[in-house]
Amino acid sequence: MPDLLEVVGLTKRFGGLVAVNNVSFTVRDREILSVIGPNGAGKSTLFKLISSFLRPTSGEVRFKGERISGLAPHVAARRGVVRTFQETTIFKNMTVLDNVVTAHHLRSRASLAGFYFGSAAARSDLEAFGASADEILAFLGLAAMRDEIASNLPHGHLRALGIAIALATDPAVILLDEPFAGMNYDETRRALQIVRKLRERGITVLLVEHDMSAVMNISDRIVVLNFGQMIAEGTPAQIRQNPKVIEAYLGVEDESIGL
Amino acid sequence: MRTSQATTVRIIASALFLLALLVAVPLLIEATGRTDLYYTLTSVALLSIISAGVWITFYIGRINIGQGAYALMGGYVSAILVTSYGMSFWLTLPLAGLFCAAASVLIGLPILRLRGVYFAMVTLVLTEVARLLALALPVTNGASGIVSIPLPSGISFFGVTLVPDFATLANPRLAFYIVAVLLMALCFLSLYRLAHSRTGQLCQSLQQNEELASSIGVNIAYLRVIAYALSSFFGGVGGAMFAAIAQSIYPSSFTVADSVNFMLNCFLGGLGYVLGPMLGTFVLYFGWDLLFQTGEFQLLIFSTVLIVLMLALPNGLLSLAIPRKRSV
Amino acid sequence: MEQVIANGLYLGAQYALIALGLTLIFALMNVLNFAHGQMYVLGGFVTYTIYGQLKLPFVVALICSGVTLAVIGALMERFLFRTVVRRSKREESTMLLAAATAFFLDAVMLLLFGEKQRGVPKIVSGVFASEGVILPYDRIMVGVIAILMIATFMLFMQYSKPGRAMRALAQDRIAAQLMGVKVERYSMIGFALGAMLAGIVGGLLVSITGVNSGIGGPISIKAFLMVMIGGAGVVGGAIAGGFILGMMESVGLATLREYGDVTYLVIFALLMIFLSIRPNGLMGKPWG
Repeated sequence: MPDLLEVVGLTKRFGGLVAVNNVSFTVRDREILSVIGPNGAGKSTLFKLISSFLRPTSGEVRFKGERISGLAPHVAARRGVVRTFQETTIFKNMTVLDNVVTAHHLRSRASLAGFYFGSAAARSDLEAFGASADEILAFLGLAAMRDEIASNLPHGHLRALGIAIALATDPAVILLDEPFAGMNYDETRRALQIVRKLRERGITVLLVEHDMSAVMNISDRIVVLNFGQMIAEGTPAQIRQNPKVIEAYLGVEDESIGL
Repeated sequence: MRTSQATTVRIIASALFLLALLVAVPLLIEATGRTDLYYTLTSVALLSIISAGVWITFYIGRINIGQGAYALMGGYVSAILVTSYGMSFWLTLPLAGLFCAAASVLIGLPILRLRGVYFAMVTLVLTEVARLLALALPVTNGASGIVSIPLPSGISFFGVTLVPDFATLANPRLAFYIVAVLLMALCFLSLYRLAHSRTGQLCQSLQQNEELASSIGVNIAYLRVIAYALSSFFGGVGGAMFAAIAQSIYPSSFTVADSVNFMLNCFLGGLGYVLGPMLGTFVLYFGWDLLFQTGEFQLLIFSTVLIVLMLALPNGLLSLAIPRKRSV
Repeated sequence: MEQVIANGLYLGAQYALIALGLTLIFALMNVLNFAHGQMYVLGGFVTYTIYGQLKLPFVVALICSGVTLAVIGALMERFLFRTVVRRSKREESTMLLAAATAFFLDAVMLLLFGEKQRGVPKIVSGVFASEGVILPYDRIMVGVIAILMIATFMLFMQYSKPGRAMRALAQDRIAAQLMGVKVERYSMIGFALGAMLAGIVGGLLVSITGVNSGIGGPISIKAFLMVMIGGAGVVGGAIAGGFILGMMESVGLATLREYGDVTYLVIFALLMIFLSIRPNGLMGKPWG
């Protein structure tokens, strides 16, 4: 499998603090790769760097050989690298359907003015968006809630809606921000299912997560960060036995590590 | 199809409303002899256009208290072009709007990055900047302003008079009223289109969550500037019309208090409704006028009513009539 | 030069005190208090009535200004802002309410005190003069009182129980609630405190510049400027913003005098440039 996404020597400094320090790894096509690490390890900074929400101090992120870091979020999205957020980040006052329809922006062929004046391209776009949104909602098990106002959705579904919004952009790589955080056993199981189904759709998944057991279960490969540095990379089996990883997680209760 | 039926009803209702404004109102005014109402209603129409601009900035999630600056700018642009360059007023009207739109792009690029109260405060300051600039620049003639601007000239095409010369009219007030109503109709039509098109949906995505909007590929900086430019265009056109009617413009023609009022108009009508700014302007302006008889208690009663309204209907007057149609 | 700095410090001290009140209310309630300038003016009028008209001691008048405004602030929070915050769909609504309240206070003051400029007899007479600096004693006194009050305020916020509760509240409303902070109570106290600060500055300054019912709006704009410079909702930012604006005004008035109102134009232009580089002011947190 070729490398789809390359993280090369990525570093981010905030004042004197080095949040991400010279991190390099690659993500292969249709892989599920997880980034884990204790609190404050720099996971979410790394995540924002890859999705171009932050500008790296040095180093870069390449997608299909082209630099996508240090641009702007909408540029990275246009290239095909799209992130999700933790659960409250949705278009709160829109219906579930409108959330997903709105998110089809990158698939538009009509211009802003075209949409304003209702050109032929705009009309065919709108039709296509509606159909695609319905397909995505069905895919994620949200079809029954399509006309609900998004802020009224129960917690578990909010995260699915977040993924639905990302899917609407037709991404090649999807970045999931702690997709299992705060979930109970059943919810986690369903979320894992969704992540696998994303891969079946041909999407490469990069996720940042705290919950080790879920990550062990689903990932092809895992990258471990500690104090901004990458301390290990490998398959779940390799990571489980890596002494550096065990050391980094020492002091954390065994249960939450899931070793 | 039910939706097309609803659309038909809406079109007919709007046409009737416009017809009433253009025909029934003038007839009523002539019958009662209250010709002073022309000026009042013209002002309401123009102020609602300026307020509609503010509404657009609310639509992308920004609190705009700087609309007075663009109204002032539009007024000056038109006044200067008419008096110093002898241009026809009808040409200066769109030019004033475009000038304001262009200026707002330059101003908007840095300040639209600000959010919440920061944007609100900066725009408030902007109104003050506009006033000070008008006082300081040589072209605006300082505190004495630009006065005795000629009334709009006529427009004729191949000898056919499309718009008569206002100076020759027996009742230019009626003419101004009709122009203002037509402009208002045009303005709210374009606003309605915005709110009910995908372009509007994208604006709403900005209002609800800019990070998420940019993550789905929306160029938020670009969209914000476009919306702000449109908003300022309305401000400029409204300001230019005002200068033409008053035949004068001063640095104090639009002040911070006016900017605040434009914002109040939108709030009072309801931010979630296209017609909010129109209704809000009408109620505030007429309310203020009616209270004129109360003399020194005018401001006291006015502000008390405002506060009570705010407590009773925090989501605007229209939230009473249209419980929760399309929440914006 | 020394004169310019002395004037700047004197202006800065009172400005900082005004900005502190505004930023406190903003930090606690997320309300941009449009009526802040009006509160200042009202404080001035209370002192004018008690010290200037009833001839009671200045200190008594100052305390009355503070207490009156604290009560008004508390009532505003309890009966106006709390209701609207709870019931409105959009948080911007509080801004409308604040603007309406500003109109209301303007109207009340216009009815009670008229349009005339009101002043009171000097509290201390005499002028401090050395080489380079000439400053009336009453200005020095006002400046010193203002600085003492800023210090007291900061100590209060740092070490007292209400102060700590309010800081927790400003940081994270929900977390504070979970920690057992009585959110509504401290919002009210904070609002009252902010209003009180505005009232006291008004009372102090009526002895020097006097007040009239029309200056509320311009004072609010100045307060906004300071808060933007320093960063909204941050105590240190408000103080820094106050002193910076005071200095800029002092320098501007000294160097640009012959060009009229250009000082403020320059300050505004600088602010725009500054904010485009630092959207959250000197010390402000990113704001969503």
